[in-house]
Amino acid sequence: MPSRRRTLLKVIILGDSGVGKTSLMNQYVNKKFSNQYKATIGADFLTKEVQFEDRLFTLQIWDTAGQERFQSLGVAFYRGADCCVLVYDVNSMKSFDNLNNWREEFLIQASPSDPENFPFVVIGNKIDIDGGNSRVVSEKKARAWCASKGNIPYFETSAKEGINVEEAFQCIAKNALKSGEEEELYLPDTIDVGNSSQPRATGCEC
Amino acid sequence: MLESEVHDLSDDADYAASQQQGSASMMLRSDSTKNSPREGAEIVFMKENVAIHPTQFASERISGRLKLIKQSSSLFMTWIPYKGHSSEARLSDDERNLYTIKAVSFTEIRSIRRHTPALAWPYIIVVLSSGLAYPPLYFYSGGVKEFLATIKQHVLLVRSEEDANVFLVNDFQNTLQRTLSSLELPRAVPIACGPSNLSVDESVLNENQGRADNDVNNGSFSATQFPGRPSHKVDPARDLSIHVLEKFSLVTKFARETTSQLFGENHSNGFSERRTHIRNNLDHPRKSSHAEEKTSDESCVALDSQEFENLSLVWGKPRQPPLGSSEWIIFLDSEGRVTDSEALRKRVFYGGLDHDLRNEVWGLLLGYYPYESTYAEREFQKSVKKSEYENIKNQWQSISSAQAKRFTKFRERKGLIEKDVVRTDRSIPFYEGDDNPNVNILRDILLTYSFYNFDLGYCQGMSDLLSPILFVMDDESEAFWCFVALMERLGPNFNRDQNGMHSQLFALSKLVELLDSPLHNYFKQRDCLNYFFCFRWILIQFKREFEYEKTMRLWEVLWTHYPSEHLHLYLCVAILNRYRGKIIREEMDFDTLLKFINELSGHIDLDASLRDAEALCICAGENGAACIPPGTPPSLPLDDGSFYALQDENLWAALKRTSRHSPYPSQNTLLGFTPDPEPVSPVAFLASSLQSAVGASRSAVGDAPAFSLFQARGRLA
Ligand SMILES: Nc1nc2c(ncn2[C@@H]2O[C@H](COP(=O)(O)OP(=O)(O)OP(=O)(O)O)[C@@H](O)[C@H]2O)c(=O)[nH]1
Ligand SMILES: [Mg+2]
Repeated sequence: MPSRRRTLLKVIILGDSGVGKTSLMNQYVNKKFSNQYKATIGADFLTKEVQFEDRLFTLQIWDTAGQERFQSLGVAFYRGADCCVLVYDVNSMKSFDNLNNWREEFLIQASPSDPENFPFVVIGNKIDIDGGNSRVVSEKKARAWCASKGNIPYFETSAKEGINVEEAFQCIAKNALKSGEEEELYLPDTIDVGNSSQPRATGCEC
Repeated sequence: MLESEVHDLSDDADYAASQQQGSASMMLRSDSTKNSPREGAEIVFMKENVAIHPTQFASERISGRLKLIKQSSSLFMTWIPYKGHSSEARLSDDERNLYTIKAVSFTEIRSIRRHTPALAWPYIIVVLSSGLAYPPLYFYSGGVKEFLATIKQHVLLVRSEEDANVFLVNDFQNTLQRTLSSLELPRAVPIACGPSNLSVDESVLNENQGRADNDVNNGSFSATQFPGRPSHKVDPARDLSIHVLEKFSLVTKFARETTSQLFGENHSNGFSERRTHIRNNLDHPRKSSHAEEKTSDESCVALDSQEFENLSLVWGKPRQPPLGSSEWIIFLDSEGRVTDSEALRKRVFYGGLDHDLRNEVWGLLLGYYPYESTYAEREFQKSVKKSEYENIKNQWQSISSAQAKRFTKFRERKGLIEKDVVRTDRSIPFYEGDDNPNVNILRDILLTYSFYNFDLGYCQGMSDLLSPILFVMDDESEAFWCFVALMERLGPNFNRDQNGMHSQLFALSKLVELLDSPLHNYFKQRDCLNYFFCFRWILIQFKREFEYEKTMRLWEVLWTHYPSEHLHLYLCVAILNRYRGKIIREEMDFDTLLKFINELSGHIDLDASLRDAEALCICAGENGAACIPPGTPPSLPLDDGSFYALQDENLWAALKRTSRHSPYPSQNTLLGFTPDPEPVSPVAFLASSLQSAVGASRSAVGDAPAFSLFQARGRLA
């Protein structure tokens, strides 16, 4: 136990307003869903302890406002991120189309050292609505986009029903860890992430 | 303007002069004390029931007796709280001693500011020549005029040319006397009770006991009576006053910190010197005053910095009960016009409104109805505006679903609003439950507004601002027009380029720099000067920070624009200041700070913070106003057209453009330190020019911003 080091992993959740960023974060951290979350103003974050191998990490998950108008605030929050989660609503084409903007915006504002290899994870949320009947973005289309952007891991979730949320965040945490490890080369005893339990989710190549 | 202020700021020559006079008169007094405590002392004025308000509640006031005492040729003022008045705040002896004003000489007093509010007790604020001030003394049995008249008989008292309510004491207008360096001033301010001085205190206490006996024997107490000690001219009255001030004022905290910054630890010698308390209490026989003095020392030792932090400012006026309907009538003439809107605004500022009155008064406060309108005119306007509202609403209601299919912007806007209204205040009974019709009204009003002001459109946060308005007005059209009136002022908060927010955050950073330099320095060091952690506070006027009722109270107070349009910014400063100790002690970085501020929601004491905000606003005076760029919301926009110019289509492109430079004026630009080779935004430009203006006025004061405040307070309070 005492040998375990704590490390902070910073994760940013981005996506259009109302796609379910706050709901996803709360479902993952607090295991609950509420219809009464308010629209996010400014930014907030929740933390969660995660364990890989014999190491404990603090996952710091940043939830920002989705409305474009507030994006000039981003720079204050994006800096130092280890992973960026792009969320869209499978029932809204616009929210999917905007993923590209969110991604580029993030890369500009966070200016990570290696933008080509910065870890993103894409989440298509609200798959529960209408039993999937009102969905307008197909999984195929989403995966194609993810593949075109350097094989971004992709998850389909329901924050409401708690479907696939845990899996998505495990992948997010691992990717964050991986990017953190790459930067912290001075840490010799890096753990072998590849060997830890694989999430059931599709598409996570970590 | 600024220039003359600079001169004013350093006009502590009075102080230098008064020091000599002061110690001289103390000597005199001590001599007579030796012979007989009363000899030569004549009470020329005495008033019962003069009280201070150590807390926000007038019921917790501390009443006492105010006296003017003439001794030899000097005039002294004393205020001694009554003992054992059980109906009032229960005071320990220690506290009583802390509040007591023991014989301050009028050579120490620079000015007296008189306040005679229409609906509250008259009070005075005594400003010392050091720039420090006593807490307000409330005259519960009247007598302010008489008090001033008596003073006038004994010392030179002239009405300030700038403010008829300010009376300058011994103001000889001698500019030569004003040339004393402002650095003299901090040295004169005792660094009382700091924790680092505790050890010193103890030894000094012991010393004092021996010396006190000595004092009693030879009847002298001037510091100069102890040869061989480094001689800092110490004025006992000043030392005593600092106890009161320590207890009371934020400004004094500045003084203490500035002092310790300026003089560092090496000043503790001077400090111990100061701890030689003087028995100069003219109101009590010698022996008991000795005993009291001792407890005063002890109480002082017992206070630690933590305790200071818990003490709030007291010179914001006490909050009043909300304005009720019987009193409301008084503000109206027979036809319903508000006869004195200034008085109404002031009354609402200090107490807010009974909930039942909000429906009638909010429209006036927001400027939807003119104050001079009659009942009938308001009824008429209401009906005219109703049909106007219906017309605008009809614009989007008549969009068929087929048309909507080809009207993406409309669909998106509607979708965004629909997503937000279902997330707005759903735990309030008014908006609770499935298919609540009020939620639909919320949606309709917001959608109508986005057609009324199509360029601004809908932006998140607007539903938060509308919700209480609809709840209060309980009428769709009325709520809409009140919201329109509010958005006249707050619209720029939601501008695409965020300029309204940026100018407010910028102003906030300047205000903190002015009013709380330790916190400013901390934020600077921690790279937190963007103040994004206050974004939510400002964007929606603290809507998420207080429970519903308190939010409504706060809003009506802010909407009075009394004493400043920008009181909300002072409120930010006040709240930050309340938690300054915690923020610095726990070494919060940006993340932790943001989290901390977010989690303050629901835990902020509104009334106390408002009082602090008022005090800060008054303290800051013109210097505060100079921190706020013209046109900063909720000031009416300087130039209408340009605000909403940036169109949706260009948004992402524009964002990329700006963010490549800097999405927000860099801190350096913001502070005006580095010339920016890039074209700067209007805000940044404003910022740097403002900086030079403020900087110019401040540089002359050296590192002692606190004193500029004192000065401002002395004249503007
Ligand atoms: N049916 C369903 N509804 C969801 C799901 N996730 C979120 N919602 C609802 O979608 C709305 C928006 O959810 P939020 O989590 O507040 O969205 P957000 O992305 O944080 O939005 P902003 O804070 O405005 O950027 C809320 O009314 C949620 O109840 C989901 O998985 N299924
Ligand atoms: Mg959210």
